[in-house]
Amino acid sequence: MSNEKYYVPHGTYWPIIGSIGISTLFVGFANQMHDVSWGWPVMVLGFAIIAFMMFGWLGTVVNESVGGIYNAQVDKSFRWGMSWFIFSEVMFFAAFFGALLYARVLSVPWLGGADNNIFTPELWEGFKATWPLISTPSEVGQNGVTWSTNFKLVDTWGLPAINTALLLTSGVTITYAHHALRAGHRNALIAWMLATIALGVVFLGFQITEYGHAYHDGLKLTSGIYGSTFYLLTGFHGFHVTVGVIMLTVILYRIQKGHFDSDNHFAFEGVAWYWHFVDVVWLGLFIFVYWL
Amino acid sequence: MDFIVLAIVLVILISLGSALIGMLRGGKEGSDKMFKALRMRISLSVFLFILLMFASFMGWIEPNYILPTQ
Repeated sequence: MSNEKYYVPHGTYWPIIGSIGISTLFVGFANQMHDVSWGWPVMVLGFAIIAFMMFGWLGTVVNESVGGIYNAQVDKSFRWGMSWFIFSEVMFFAAFFGALLYARVLSVPWLGGADNNIFTPELWEGFKATWPLISTPSEVGQNGVTWSTNFKLVDTWGLPAINTALLLTSGVTITYAHHALRAGHRNALIAWMLATIALGVVFLGFQITEYGHAYHDGLKLTSGIYGSTFYLLTGFHGFHVTVGVIMLTVILYRIQKGHFDSDNHFAFEGVAWYWHFVDVVWLGLFIFVYWL
Repeated sequence: MDFIVLAIVLVILISLGSALIGMLRGGKEGSDKMFKALRMRISLSVFLFILLMFASFMGWIEPNYILPTQ
């Protein structure tokens, strides 16, 4: 805040490294999808370049922040930047929750003959419009469609409830960490942060276990609209928890380095909000996939 | 029961949005607003989870799964 001039970095090479990383990743990914032998290693290389770029670029930003070359206007820019990022995240999850809603409330009942689709059941004989949609067309032969009902559903009071309790507890611990930071209780802050990270890691472990169970019971990404929405929503959520755990770990490192005080800790606020958001998304998933 | 659950989810979303506005505003006032809104959102979320467990125990609400079909 010591410098009143709006700081603009000049001659930085991180954006071009990021572009090279993203291009490498997609070239690798596209070729991997076409079973080209070098697709997979190129994809990993792309990831590595992006990780290197993130580490270097964000490290530079941290050093600039600690070096005191940001003024109040730069602080404002960071807050706006985080808000637009959050807006894109909200839209992202809104689209997937929207897909779930559309399938459940509109398209599946229509296939079952609801509204003015009175002839649809004659086209799709044997179709049962239920949610979760357990009966999906497996093949279309000369005799018409055969229906397969080859997956079991996840027990709501098993791992999903345990995972909800875990993430909600992590929401409580990060709130205590936030309070400790604002009150200047450094040791309590570190302890609550460690608890939050640990809960996030345990959540991810259980989520992998749950995927194992679900997959073993025949629920796959290809198991009709239920399998697709289930894995897309929980998969992207799990990815966000992973990112959240990485960000919390970086924040913990910065806390130990003494980067924050009780009045000035925007990086912590941004990550704390993100963690609360990921928590709310899971609560939404738990309610809309397993309850309502 | 569904209506009560949805109403609480809505208030949770409003709290989260209010925290975002606090974070965007910054300063002492914004920081206070953010913290209070986040505390509200986690309290309501824990309450909702307990309510769901209780409602399920009392038979007011049924989980969304069907027994194995195999």
